[in-house]
Amino acid sequence: MGLNPQNDYTTTTLDTAINWARSNSMWPMPFGVACCAIEMMAALMSKYDASRFGSEVLKFAPRQSDLLIVSGRISLKMMPVLLRIWEQMPEPKWCISMGACASSGGVFDTYTLIQGIDQFIPVDAYIPGCPPRPEAFIEALMTVQEKASKGQAKSQEYTVKEGSV
Amino acid sequence: MDHPLIRFDASAKAKVLARLQEQRGSELLHTYEEGLALGIDVHGQNILSVLSFLKDDPELGFTGFLDVTAVDYSKYVLPQVERFAVIYILMSPHSGARVKVRAFVAGDPPTIDSATSLYQGAGWGEREAFDFFGIKFVGHPNLKRILMPDDYRDFPLRKEYPLRGRGERADFEVYRAFKD
Repeated sequence: MGLNPQNDYTTTTLDTAINWARSNSMWPMPFGVACCAIEMMAALMSKYDASRFGSEVLKFAPRQSDLLIVSGRISLKMMPVLLRIWEQMPEPKWCISMGACASSGGVFDTYTLIQGIDQFIPVDAYIPGCPPRPEAFIEALMTVQEKASKGQAKSQEYTVKEGSV
Repeated sequence: MDHPLIRFDASAKAKVLARLQEQRGSELLHTYEEGLALGIDVHGQNILSVLSFLKDDPELGFTGFLDVTAVDYSKYVLPQVERFAVIYILMSPHSGARVKVRAFVAGDPPTIDSATSLYQGAGWGEREAFDFFGIKFVGHPNLKRILMPDDYRDFPLRKEYPLRGRGERADFEVYRAFKD
């Protein structure tokens, strides 16, 4: 990228410009199902203020979002719902697995709980903690922003299986 | 302060018990004090008779239905009448009295009459007891699984069921959309 101060123009590639725009305007789709969602709300509200990172527009509409935030434990019965929401989101898309339960099942090693959503959804950033602090959430958000600015997404490394949901 | 639960003291419990002994004495297995409530044990086939008396008797008036749940006693320290028991918790809104009716359920699958004809709110709790213990409630209007997925095969709160399940978590191929 070059900058010419005399003539007020820059040269860059189209990909770089698009990735720059995408990474600074993430639209999160919150999937808050447990106590981690409380910390997610704190991170999005005024004290921690996710709008500093351009991602304060929470739309509960997967078709208008590109960042899925799974905060909480996911049961066998909830997983198809989450997967439907994930597949409704347009590409390119990113996913944050927030907290121990979403990442690994946490303490709930029982018959009913998914042992980590990454068995079904490609996850870009994991947040450890039970629940994590809002600072950890912001760290994950910045990780996703960094990936987006390079044009990387975990979802693009996977393929959809024939005949699946 | 005159709290309704404090009003339900030993003498009030004795009154309820005397009334119950007088009218349904042959159907009671055992009665005991259960914390602030009065505990009553019955056989499963007498449950509707006992519940309808508790509800409709003008002196008792247990019209408030608080909860219904179930217990698997197969690994309990003390021997019980049957393996499964369904527990109804009732309240009398006027006197503040509470009773806990424990009905021991026989049969395979364990079968008991549904309380929905007396208390409509019992339907949800009975569906949950069916979902987790496999107890069949005869006369329930919509007895199907409420919390577990519809295609679930087992009854997970039975004592012989392993904590981590019987492979349902791994055997979840239909929802698996991505592969490495």
